[in-house]
Amino acid sequence: MIELTEKIRDIAKKLLKDGTVDVFIGYKKGSVPMMNEPVLIRNPDEADLLYWDSNCGLNLCNYLTGRTDRIGILATGCNSRSIVTHIIENQIRRDQLYIVGIPCTGMIDHRAVNRAVGHREITDITESDITFTVTGKGFQETFNKADYLQGNCKVCRHRNPVEYDEMIGEPVEEQKGIEPYSDVKNIEKMSCDDKNAFFRRLIDKCIRCYACRNACPLCYCPTCFVDESRPQWVGKSIDPTDTMTFHLLRAFHCAGRCTDCGACERVCPMGISMRQFTRKLNRDAEELFSWQAGLSLTERPPLDTYRSDDYNDFIK
Amino acid sequence: MKNLLEHTGLEPGRLHFSWISSAEATKFVKVAKEVSAAVRALGPAKYLVKRRAEVV
Amino acid sequence: MGDKIFTKQGWVESLRGLAGDYMVFVPVKEGDMYAFRHLDNDTKVAFDDYHNTRMSPKSIVYPQSERMFEYSLDKQDPDCNILKEVPKTFAPQAIVGIRPCDAHAFQISKRNFDTPEYRDPWWVQRYEATTLIGLGCNSPRSTCFCTAMGGGPFDEEGLDVLMFDMGETYLVRALTDKGEAFLGKLNGGRSADKTDREAALRLSDHVRDGMPDVVPVDPIRNKEIKDIFDASFWDDVAFACLNCGTCTFLCPACWCFDVQDEVYGREGDRIRNWDSCMFPLFTLHGSGHNPRAKKFQRVRQRFMHKFKYYVDKFDDGFQCTGCGRCVQFCPVNIDIRDVLRLMSDEPPVRLSA
Ligand code: SF4
Ligand code: SF4
Ligand code: SF4
Ligand code: SF4
Repeated sequence: MIELTEKIRDIAKKLLKDGTVDVFIGYKKGSVPMMNEPVLIRNPDEADLLYWDSNCGLNLCNYLTGRTDRIGILATGCNSRSIVTHIIENQIRRDQLYIVGIPCTGMIDHRAVNRAVGHREITDITESDITFTVTGKGFQETFNKADYLQGNCKVCRHRNPVEYDEMIGEPVEEQKGIEPYSDVKNIEKMSCDDKNAFFRRLIDKCIRCYACRNACPLCYCPTCFVDESRPQWVGKSIDPTDTMTFHLLRAFHCAGRCTDCGACERVCPMGISMRQFTRKLNRDAEELFSWQAGLSLTERPPLDTYRSDDYNDFIK
Repeated sequence: MKNLLEHTGLEPGRLHFSWISSAEATKFVKVAKEVSAAVRALGPAKYLVKRRAEVV
Repeated sequence: MGDKIFTKQGWVESLRGLAGDYMVFVPVKEGDMYAFRHLDNDTKVAFDDYHNTRMSPKSIVYPQSERMFEYSLDKQDPDCNILKEVPKTFAPQAIVGIRPCDAHAFQISKRNFDTPEYRDPWWVQRYEATTLIGLGCNSPRSTCFCTAMGGGPFDEEGLDVLMFDMGETYLVRALTDKGEAFLGKLNGGRSADKTDREAALRLSDHVRDGMPDVVPVDPIRNKEIKDIFDASFWDDVAFACLNCGTCTFLCPACWCFDVQDEVYGREGDRIRNWDSCMFPLFTLHGSGHNPRAKKFQRVRQRFMHKFKYYVDKFDDGFQCTGCGRCVQFCPVNIDIRDVLRLMSDEPPVRLSA
């Protein structure tokens, strides 16, 4: 990880010095373990702030929306797919970007790690190739990173960036034998009432803080439907039906666009797995339209094209 | 849309989609009958029904 | 009443005995986090293992969503269009195990909800019905900075009773009349003697001495509002911010709310919901103008309110208790302690990796 950090700093310095980009977007080391902070670097001497490890699980594409300058940006597999989605949705121009691709070996699920140490306070985390070590008052434990990956990273099939100007290091091997949608299939097997109960329980702690929505690069609408007041589409209290409406509609708005980057789930202060909504749509996009978001700059997504052989079994 | 709603607990048969041209009066009648029969068979809706905000 | 000693088990049993007198809230573990819940016969109380609850206990006095009024829109109804206060009972309740920082936060919010001019009926009545039984912090987290905010891990301000965790037992001390009344209803326990009290004092002194004192706050008081307001660092501070509600909703001292009408057929409710200065909607005018349209303006507002406007207005403390929730749970690691350092012209601690 040290090597990657050094390389990122060097590249950022070079790009800023030679004027290829005006700014560079990466991460700096967090003040709290497992929480790194996205950072905007404006000049080469700030580049040493940049940092990289397996706690960079946000989606940096989120910080591109509306920018007019030339931007260098770090991109893992899923982040690069979100950038592609941003480009085809005209949220940023390809020629504004210098994409520094990072072949990714997955991000650490901070909740799982905290659970593993019985919620004792972790004050430091260090990483080697395939393990990481957490330290706190009176304890130190080492874990295999593969056992503590974020849910989305466990089932990731695109660890290598799909679009980049420069790649840091060699591509990594993609994970084999992945069953990408076993969780979705398990829910599909439930009875209607059980499904309903499952999803109600899933979001019963939701405090409508909108971190999930705001962490997602897809949610760039100037005014979100939940914030509209004329007309008011959804109530603003924590009534369970209103909360469900928020989650369902947010998910629909991501249909065919979500790259399962996991940022939404990572940021939730209440530990809610709202990816269960988007993942159903991702699976349908894949099964019914052979579509995975963000893989191509030239193909149009299924929801903005019409083909005579589109799936339409649901229409009578 | 139908798929996600049913995935999250809406009964199959509650939500229907149909494409009917303004000239297809008989189809409209047929579909309307089918839809109301299917929905009636399911009974009152339970899913995503808000009567009053459940707050203190 | 002098201090009392309860065995840990005896304490919980005595609390259960209060069922008829108080609605008792205690910390319980739910999944990966802790929350204050009603104490029932089978509640597993988490006094021993919990550091603090994810959501602060402010919602026990000030719920996230609260129906204030109801009304009829039926033209036939003689009371059509008249707002009627929703009848509520404010039965005695007790939050047992609340941390001193969170109790301190009620004193801060009181300045907003209970003023000489206006008294918020719901907040005030619930607050007055609530007895706060604090549990001193034997092992504060590295994100805690209560001492810098004028509190402390065994601070008594705002508490009615303070519990010291002495290992096998609790030393329990009444601090107010409300606290005396609460302890008076409890069965069991024995009187604490001098040795017990000295041990409690040693414990609290020891923990307090170990608290980091890294957050300088006094310089802010002496600076001009405009100098901080126009400082150049706000853009950088705000860059990563998602403008979500995590920091403000988890914060025990944030008090802002929004009022919404909801209409169902011919009836309606007027509900208030927590609001957040981080949301663009917070300051959106009816005209469409938004004085805080930009992200950095909203981020700045949060810190300016807590550490400058509040200070200038009340000249007593800050609108923050140093509980550390926003430090731990801000999803993009915007660390209020670093922002404080910037506001007081100190270099941030975290310069580089
Ligand atoms: S919905 Fe979640 S997983 Fe999908 S792109 Fe947005 S943040 Fe990523
Ligand atoms: S981040 Fe979590 S708590 Fe916040 S709105 Fe999303 S699901 Fe709800
Ligand atoms: S500071 Fe952090 S918690 Fe607060 S609004 Fe910004 S991203 Fe959310
Ligand atoms: S501002 Fe942060 S540290 Fe201060 S009381 Fe609120 S949540 Fe706690």
